[in-house]
Amino acid sequence: MRIRSFDYWEAPSLDKALTELEISGSDAKVIAGGTDLVLNMKKKKILPSRVISLHNLKELDFVRTQDSEVRIGALTRHADIAADPLLKTHLPILCEAVGLIGSWQIRNVGTIGGNICNASPAADSVPPLMVLGAQLIVASKTAEKKISLDSFFSGPGETVLETGQILKEIIIELPKQRSAGCYLKLRRRKAVDISLAGVAFQAETTTDERRLARVAIALGGVAPTPIRVPQAEAILTGLSVDEAMTKISDCARIAAQAASPIDDVRASASYRRTIVDVFLHQSAQKVLRKLKNGGGS
Amino acid sequence: MRVPIHIIVNGEEYHLEVKPNRVLLDVLREDLGLIGTKKGCGLGKCGACTILLDGRPIHSCLLLAAQANRREITTIEGIAAEEPHPLQAAFVEKGAVQCGFCTPGMINAAKALLDANPDPDEAEIKLAIAGNLCRCTGYNQIVSAIQSCTPSTSDRPAAARGESNE
Amino acid sequence: MSELDRELDIVGKSYPQIDGMQKAMGKTKFVTDLVLPGMLYGRTLRSPYPHANIQNIDTSRARALTGVKAVVTYADTPGIKFGPRSEDWTIFAGDKARFYGDEVAAVAAIDEDTAEEALELIKVEYEALPFVTDPLEAMQPGAQLVHDDKPANIAAEFKVEAGDVDRAFDDSHIIYEERYYTNQVYQAYMEPMAALAEVDLSGRITLWTGTQIPNMMRMTYAKALGISPDNIRVIVPDYGGAFGAKMENNIHLVAAILAQKAQKPVKLVNTRHDDFIAGNPRVPMYIDIKLGATQAGVLTAKEVTVVGSAGARLVYSMVIVATACYRVDSLYRFQHVRSKGYTVYTNTVPTACFRGFGNSQMTFVLESALDMIADQLNMDPAELRIKNGIGPNETSIHGWKITSSGLKDCVIQATEKADWQKKRQQKEPLKGIGLACCNHVSGNRPFAREFDGGAGIVRVGRDGRVTVYHGESDMGQGQKTTFAQIAAERLGVPLEMVHVADVDTDISPFGLGSFATRGTLMGGNGVLAAAKDAFRQLAKIAAEILEARVEDIECRQGKFFVDGSPERSLPFREVAAQATFARHGAPVVGTGFYKPPTVLPDPDTKYGNISPAYPFACQIAEVEVDPNTGQVSVTNFVAAHDVGRAINPMATEGQIRGGITQGLGWTLMENMAYENGEIINPDFVDYIVPSALDVPDIKPILVEPVEPNGPYGAKGIGEPALNPTMAAITNAIYNATGVRVKKLPVSPEKLLSELKKKEAAD
Repeated sequence: MRIRSFDYWEAPSLDKALTELEISGSDAKVIAGGTDLVLNMKKKKILPSRVISLHNLKELDFVRTQDSEVRIGALTRHADIAADPLLKTHLPILCEAVGLIGSWQIRNVGTIGGNICNASPAADSVPPLMVLGAQLIVASKTAEKKISLDSFFSGPGETVLETGQILKEIIIELPKQRSAGCYLKLRRRKAVDISLAGVAFQAETTTDERRLARVAIALGGVAPTPIRVPQAEAILTGLSVDEAMTKISDCARIAAQAASPIDDVRASASYRRTIVDVFLHQSAQKVLRKLKNGGGS
Repeated sequence: MRVPIHIIVNGEEYHLEVKPNRVLLDVLREDLGLIGTKKGCGLGKCGACTILLDGRPIHSCLLLAAQANRREITTIEGIAAEEPHPLQAAFVEKGAVQCGFCTPGMINAAKALLDANPDPDEAEIKLAIAGNLCRCTGYNQIVSAIQSCTPSTSDRPAAARGESNE
Repeated sequence: MSELDRELDIVGKSYPQIDGMQKAMGKTKFVTDLVLPGMLYGRTLRSPYPHANIQNIDTSRARALTGVKAVVTYADTPGIKFGPRSEDWTIFAGDKARFYGDEVAAVAAIDEDTAEEALELIKVEYEALPFVTDPLEAMQPGAQLVHDDKPANIAAEFKVEAGDVDRAFDDSHIIYEERYYTNQVYQAYMEPMAALAEVDLSGRITLWTGTQIPNMMRMTYAKALGISPDNIRVIVPDYGGAFGAKMENNIHLVAAILAQKAQKPVKLVNTRHDDFIAGNPRVPMYIDIKLGATQAGVLTAKEVTVVGSAGARLVYSMVIVATACYRVDSLYRFQHVRSKGYTVYTNTVPTACFRGFGNSQMTFVLESALDMIADQLNMDPAELRIKNGIGPNETSIHGWKITSSGLKDCVIQATEKADWQKKRQQKEPLKGIGLACCNHVSGNRPFAREFDGGAGIVRVGRDGRVTVYHGESDMGQGQKTTFAQIAAERLGVPLEMVHVADVDTDISPFGLGSFATRGTLMGGNGVLAAAKDAFRQLAKIAAEILEARVEDIECRQGKFFVDGSPERSLPFREVAAQATFARHGAPVVGTGFYKPPTVLPDPDTKYGNISPAYPFACQIAEVEVDPNTGQVSVTNFVAAHDVGRAINPMATEGQIRGGITQGLGWTLMENMAYENGEIINPDFVDYIVPSALDVPDIKPILVEPVEPNGPYGAKGIGEPALNPTMAAITNAIYNATGVRVKKLPVSPEKLLSELKKKEAAD
């Protein structure tokens, strides 16, 4: 399958990449691992005249903690995130979700920044990042700004990124109290598939560990973009774990109503909606049980 | 336009000028004659084009050749030393090879797994090769061939132990 | 001494593929790897409409593109109507495109990039026409016609009736009646279809391609090109799987037309997208079944109506529909059967052979129906099969002579291995175990009218190197190894001394090819006959040197000796050298053929005997169903197969595991989905096939009655490996949930909806 001709430039640094991007304007496309972009260029869905490669920018390939935050460079590959000891300890939901992306081959090349910026409604990294309250650092030649992941997507394949901007890093504030999370993904076989519906559920206890201080729910693959479901979160927030257990059905029903899935070759809208309900039950139960039994991190 | 790239393939250095729109798979097959790497789908969904990039398995059909610049590449032609690699011997002996079209990619994924984790369990093996489709064997013998190359197996084929067939 | 009584050195042992290491080292040159000097790269432009008038094709801009060496359309072809079983093909669409993917034009250029760029420059004016994709709709009055000369779109009808069906139903205690549907699925061999064509100065075409039928293909293509079959040479290099698909396909002819026009070799490789939309996927079928039984579980009568979709042209679908209609009648002791089959044109990709050849579709239906009968009778499904199963030395209702049958043993051994009784009795919720049986053929007499046997050539050179030439096709199943084992066994040489040549129609026997599970039996018997001939010639030389009678000469492990006196021996190589010298350089060439004791079915009654040997099987699947999502996991699988005597047990088990995995994919996830006549999942993104994690540990059991007509007692295995899998799994789902799935595939969504319906009804 042919990729149409384009000009290619490999950026030696983020700074130079930003300069170049500003000059090239909207004709240029930034490539990280390329697992989505190359595929889309082969399918003629994206036809850039110029490609700026960030592939070798080591400065954006990192996972580190700083104070109470975890920072992940946008060019960190899925396989590295899935295996990162720090993340596995503090944010296992993210490692598990990213470990479900594509094949091992894809995870060895694809980056978390690419997964986010590609803006697939079904991107596996996004619902967990959303429930973790991730913030994005977006850089341009002139400024850097912080954007909440929740408000980053504007439609399928569309983000609020403007010409000249590059996603630089992802910041996640570490939960202060005991917390647990779970991501469940609907697939058509037991490995290597696009998410047909994904549910991320994260809960954090109060200081005295008696109540749920924060509940976050995000859905993937069931709306034009990944979404948070505040109405469903509100049902459980502030409750004791035992009380929350009794309200899971209400929470799941509301989350399923919040979804606006489509019918396509992969699944029907109604099946996707059903699965949101089912997975919300399962993930919430798993998380709440863990917290009740003194688990989580 | 053409992009100069410097790559090491199976231990040999190459300085090439490639068109930006070419993927690594095509450069390996067409320019370097390394036809052991196969094109099964072109969209990173079958794994026949799996090669090792700095030791890690990737789909060479989805990587722009220009992005392989300064990287080390191993293809199926490069994993055997003087003798076939133990995985190659095990695949043959266990009946893990039928048509053989998935075999190079499959062996590359298996090699990367064993390099990173010399004693994987069955689930880890299956997960490692989940991105490599095989339509002939039903995978059982592929898993068994990989298992036979782990230290905890009692089932190592003769060639994988470095012994002769006699 | 009969071949069957000989003590065996090589046959019956598990050898790795003789070319396995070549493949594992990445050294095998597959069709898509071939390169010739000056070779051009082809690409095909396909119809984006399921049905359209082609009003104009402007290729001028494509022809003007630098690097483009040929652009061809229907106008560049002889315009002859042809087809392997019909005359409804043309090399390119002429005035009409009849399916999404129909060939409209093609380009040859200096590289693939340029060829694809040129495709984008070809301007075709289409007038979209109404279309029909469902075969039942296509048969309705007033439906859009795919071919104007075929009323109601009926391309072929098949009828067979034996016994007194109506009376037998009247006498039945229970009758099960239901409609089933088997969907369209894609073979998904890992190497897409490809062809490399070269034309010499005389106009003679050489075609390198992965094909199951190198010789028969040549006959079809000669007609299409208006040339003598002698002017087409087909060479079959190693290729990456076929599973029935790699028979006639326009890709080969398009490559030939491009090579003719460009006067250069042209390689044409399907993109995976091309392969999905214009390969030859499985014939989808609506099947109505009516099945009767007595209270004691004796099957009384069977009636089926099959409506199969041919797609836009006939490849082999009508033979496949016919097979679906009546092959299973010889699995059980049916006495009263009636079948009607309709092969119907639709505006979809032409459908054809896929492992099972119609028998898999009907086996799914019959074995599902039997499960329901067993349920109604409160009878063990295994017992129902044993009670009705056909046995050795019986003749079926259609005249098929069952020379050997291990069907009963298959059921007994599979149920024991799977712990069937216990698992059926101590059932856990949402877990289930199901069983299904099948029969098949080892060669199919009516497939080619002229003959159905096999032939071989065994050449022994001066150095004792043995080369086997056959006319079948190793698509990856390991046929070369099987043939090498047979030749090595008969000649008495180690396996390493035997080589198997790629099929080259200039040299190889005129074999019919690899289909109908015929390779081992037909081709193997042909190779065996040739090896016997070569042995006789060598034994004559050895007898002279050893001063013994030729009939007393024996050879084992590469040494000739007088039977009973192995202490004095001659190396095989030396005898080969002496034979060559005595003939002034002529090698020993043994030729031989096998004529099977088959009977061409009567055109009206279909009474005959279509195969020299019939394989049988019983497969048992275990599943777990997730009641919340409808997802099914196959957790265990036991497969007992009557394969006659296995030439190579490891290869035979490999066929079983592979067949079951394809069957598992078909049952649970595979489906070619259409929207507005267009296949909307033509890639491995959305056409899902099983990964390593989806397949359980499959436990094959080889049941090995010696088949009197098989080479060293062997029968075939390719297709029966898949035939029972779908019903074994769906019967297990029924056991787990009480839901009977009548339409494949069992998507989680479909099963969940059925589970909910059942819950509401209970």
